[in-house]
Amino acid sequence: MQRHRHRQARAAAWAALLICAAPAPGLSAGSGPQGAAKTAAPLETTQPAAARPWARYKVDPAGISSWPQADWGRFSDLAHPHLTPPGAETLHHSGPIEGDAGRGKRLAFDRSRGGSCVSCHVLGKDTPAQPGNVGPDLSAIGAHRSDQQLFDIVYDARVVNRDTIMPPWGAHGIFNAAEIKDIVAFLKTLQTPYRFTDRSEDPATRPPPVDKRDNLDATENPAMFVLDAGKRAYQRAGPTGKSCADCHGAAEQRFKSWAATLPRFEPRLGKVLGVEEFVTRHARATTGENLLMETEDNVGLSIYLRNLANGRPMRPDVSSPGAKQALQRGNALLRAKLGQLDMACVDCHVTHSGKWARGQLLVRFKGTVAHFPTWRTSRADVWDIRKRFQWCNVSVRANELPPDAPEYGDIELALALINQGEKLNSPGIRH
Amino acid sequence: MAEPMKIRATLQGDVADVKVLMSHPMETGQRKDANGNLVPVHFIQQVTATLNGRTVLDAQWSQAVSRNPFLGFRVRGAKAGDKITVAWLDNKGEKSSIDATVTPAS
Repeated sequence: MQRHRHRQARAAAWAALLICAAPAPGLSAGSGPQGAAKTAAPLETTQPAAARPWARYKVDPAGISSWPQADWGRFSDLAHPHLTPPGAETLHHSGPIEGDAGRGKRLAFDRSRGGSCVSCHVLGKDTPAQPGNVGPDLSAIGAHRSDQQLFDIVYDARVVNRDTIMPPWGAHGIFNAAEIKDIVAFLKTLQTPYRFTDRSEDPATRPPPVDKRDNLDATENPAMFVLDAGKRAYQRAGPTGKSCADCHGAAEQRFKSWAATLPRFEPRLGKVLGVEEFVTRHARATTGENLLMETEDNVGLSIYLRNLANGRPMRPDVSSPGAKQALQRGNALLRAKLGQLDMACVDCHVTHSGKWARGQLLVRFKGTVAHFPTWRTSRADVWDIRKRFQWCNVSVRANELPPDAPEYGDIELALALINQGEKLNSPGIRH
Repeated sequence: MAEPMKIRATLQGDVADVKVLMSHPMETGQRKDANGNLVPVHFIQQVTATLNGRTVLDAQWSQAVSRNPFLGFRVRGAKAGDKITVAWLDNKGEKSSIDATVTPAS
């Protein structure tokens, strides 16, 4: 009850900030030929744009796909990129390393222990399906390395190779020392190069996936139902009695290219806003509705506003000093090693792009953002780009940030600049 | 859900190629939610399709059909402008229905 009254009070407070003029072309910031001065869009600027206190999703909105619930607070995340200690010494053994090769093989192939070795390596004749090739083929590694060398690289590869992206399996506590000895015992049995018989199994010859789906076909892409939710939200009057349509008129006319100019640095907040956060803050200041990020209405409006600008090339404005600083921060964050797996965005999307991580092809940054929000068939839900960032963090066992985190805005701007010229094509449909 | 189906009916010769995407949870009744409780069974039991009012498809579905079912079928004897109606009824008694006009392929 108390929360409801609080929400009503907040809606009334935002209604008091309402400065929406009668529909008049040229008065709002945005597309179309304008005079030199543009009125900045009204924005609420004092509250978070997403749920607080932030708690990780248990499941996606459809209730089907779950999120891991572990807390990785002792490792770096985007808000604390210097938390993880650097690579230190490994454990030295004076003689041969003894272990159970059978147990080691099961551990090497166990996807629940951080992804398994097979995500990045071919491991001899018993390698499970679809091995990756981010790292070298280890099918004959037992013939070329000493026991201590094998132990060191599995325990903490950073000590052996400063530029590695291999997770510090021992130093970060994913495997204990006894388990690593078992893995070493297994690696010692790998003495013979392996010849694939199936061209699609061999990551060196595996054909890249081809997607011929029409993402804008409403009988193909369930995200079109969510776009409909956005259309309804656009027409709906909020507590102030106004709807988006009342000020902006027909969305089809008004927003032909607006979404392609986002994300953008917002000086009143000192951070980069994407479409989703803009919708939250602008609605609070105009219709009085509280369209929190990651709600169906917010994601629906994001799809709707981008869909209206489909075909327009992304053109983020990076001219202001604030935008330039955000860009610098964003590019640095793309290079920050995060999580228990100790990986940075660039590790997959720059350094090792074009290689296979298990059965998934790693791709460069360019071409990865213009289709958001996207239906994800593997999740049976629509994801906007902030949720995608959150999942990337959780995937390397780093704590995610709330969707309105300024760090995500910096990254979104850096990616938008890398993707400038890419044509909006929302909603997407992807694995 | 305001519009739980999307439909398109395209004419190829005298055959209407109909595609329908339905928005429905299609719960088997076996699945557990995040708190460990069984999610109650909820699925489309019957699907009918008519061409100009004449029933051309009558299907009995089970929990084996997945969430957000896609239905595609082809019906002979259609012309441009004909009306296709697809309707479903689920185990809770909820219903939905949608119409499409058969249009020539472009």
